[in-house]
Amino acid sequence: MRRRQLTALVRKDLRLELRTRETIVAMVLFAIVMLAILQFGFGTRDDDLTRFTGGLMWVTLAFTAVLGVGRSYVAEREQRVLDGLLVSPVPRVVLLGAKAIAIFLYMTAVEIIVIPLVGIFFVKGPYWDSIGWIAIAALLANLCIALSGTLFSGLALFTRARDLILPVLFLPALVPVVIAGAGATHAVVGGAHDMSEWRGYCLFLAAYAILFALVSIATYDAVFDD
Amino acid sequence: MTDSPARIPGERAAMIWGVLATILVVAATIGVFLVAPEDADQGVIQRIFYFHVAIAITSLVAFAVSCVAGILYLRTRNDRWDDVGEASIRIGLLMSVLVVITGSIWAKASWGTWWVWSDPRLVTYLIVVLIYAAYFVLRSSAEDDRKMRYSAIYAIAGFASVPLSFYSVRVAESFVHPVVFTGSGANMPDSMLIWFVVSQAAMLALFIALLELDLVGRRSERALRRLALRLENA
Amino acid sequence: MVTARGLVHAYGERRAVDGVDLDLVPGERVALAGANGAGKSTLLRMLATLIRPKSGDLVVLGHEVPDHARAARTGIGYLAHDPLVYLDLTARQNLELYGDLYGVDGLDERILDLLDQVDLLARAEDTVRTFSRGMAQRLALARMLLHRPRLLLLDEPHASLDARGGALLDDQLEAARHDGRAAVIVTHEVERVARVSDRIVVLRGGRVVLDQRTDGLDPPAVRRLYEEAIA
Repeated sequence: MRRRQLTALVRKDLRLELRTRETIVAMVLFAIVMLAILQFGFGTRDDDLTRFTGGLMWVTLAFTAVLGVGRSYVAEREQRVLDGLLVSPVPRVVLLGAKAIAIFLYMTAVEIIVIPLVGIFFVKGPYWDSIGWIAIAALLANLCIALSGTLFSGLALFTRARDLILPVLFLPALVPVVIAGAGATHAVVGGAHDMSEWRGYCLFLAAYAILFALVSIATYDAVFDD
Repeated sequence: MTDSPARIPGERAAMIWGVLATILVVAATIGVFLVAPEDADQGVIQRIFYFHVAIAITSLVAFAVSCVAGILYLRTRNDRWDDVGEASIRIGLLMSVLVVITGSIWAKASWGTWWVWSDPRLVTYLIVVLIYAAYFVLRSSAEDDRKMRYSAIYAIAGFASVPLSFYSVRVAESFVHPVVFTGSGANMPDSMLIWFVVSQAAMLALFIALLELDLVGRRSERALRRLALRLENA
Repeated sequence: MVTARGLVHAYGERRAVDGVDLDLVPGERVALAGANGAGKSTLLRMLATLIRPKSGDLVVLGHEVPDHARAARTGIGYLAHDPLVYLDLTARQNLELYGDLYGVDGLDERILDLLDQVDLLARAEDTVRTFSRGMAQRLALARMLLHRPRLLLLDEPHASLDARGGALLDDQLEAARHDGRAAVIVTHEVERVARVSDRIVVLRGGRVVLDQRTDGLDPPAVRRLYEEAIA
């Protein structure tokens, strides 16, 4: 039963996204603009930004995540459908879990474009042979982003000035993800091959995901419980 | 209890804790600056540590209290726990700001700059300040039950973020922070340890006193509002 | 079907619902009337488990709310001002989503059957965005009936339904009397609803000021009762 509900909710989000193509396209464009801005901001003094690759990548992805997460309830809110979901016998954990899965998929879709672009734009030296390691770190980070993002966007949904509230709530919680994502990327990019450092950061990301999964289970039920 | 507004529950407790906190803070101040021995390496600036660390630990206690209050609020939906949660975070946030300031002073004296990004705990506390400052932004943008529910949820998530911030910064940077406590125990002579314990007790007592006072304030405010409402209806 | 004792809901200091008692037996259709801000919608949302009572006891379909709200939800059909469907999904996709959320068996046939009933079968594969307001609300009617609810909670249904949808709803309410379903119909149009209800409850300032059977009365008489109650 729960699986049927979860599948239906995720399928609904993907169908909406496929039909409107609003969120992912906007996220990708935003990320590319962001990379260009970072290049103009940092690159005037230094042509070779290889050693900043991880930072550039994860700052961009963090802000892109805020953008995407901020749109995660936009259909429910603007078309006022949420009551329909809430009056149905779907456990709130399933409702928010489905949203987390959607955010995870959006982030992954964006990274499929952005992570190679970062290599092309910024890295001089080896990059492509460690793209697998970067991808693993990115998937773990997406898990963290999805779990915490779902919670914070649910909290921001019915507040005044929610577009302002979400980054204020979400970005401080993302700082550890940025640190670890950037750290893991640095460990394997531009000739570096420090696998113990990479492993340390990935373990940290896994710990973050587990901790926020626990927080989610404890609090998701209360988010929409008016 | 509403008929005798002169007596607000918890008033006596707040008073007792206030007196206790005052005595302990005075004792700690005298002890730290006049009695405790001067640190051989760092000199007088090391004395800031007694307060810096005590305040830091107390702020974590405050955040832990707010997390528990959040869980209890979601369980019982009793406004009381929202009061406890908000008051704790208010005090904890104030203390975190003090931690950052005292840490910055210490950094200036030790390393010659006000801010060291390579000092993991200082950076952690900056993130902690940001996390809990956002709590008040969230509170101010929602009303009534929703405000309390959101605050409770955020207090739980915020408290989960604290250790995450701590470890993420620590994984990232080499360890330059002075190590005061090690796994085997306190890394200082007994003559220092005793004053640390006193100032830690002082800060905890201060936290409890401020918390009690805050709660008494809220209760009297509510009693006042009820009284006004009753007068209006009469 | 519903047992409510001393229900209270407050927005800040203002009590929107202030100590309401309400009992509903199978087959009973209640018109819930009152001026704007009398607490009708708030009470209905409480019965629908969308907001939890600040105090009081509420049992819906034999399940205590809010503790066992999810069990109660399986039997509730809720029709709101908004159709509660996604504009960028087709009529069929919307019903599929809700059918899965409620765990409806034989969903495909059920959807076809309902779309036929609400006269939207030809538009099944069109997105709701292309629908008129009346059509969207007819889809909402299908959405509400999809899981064969035993308690219908309707928020001013006739205001947003077109003539065809209104007639369909009236049929459902007529059938409800015989098959043991119950309904609460929030309304401004007391006369209109009096034809399909057998009891009126009037709220004023969040309190029940009138609660009376109206089986034998003609609609204008019910309206006079209502007007006396809120005067």
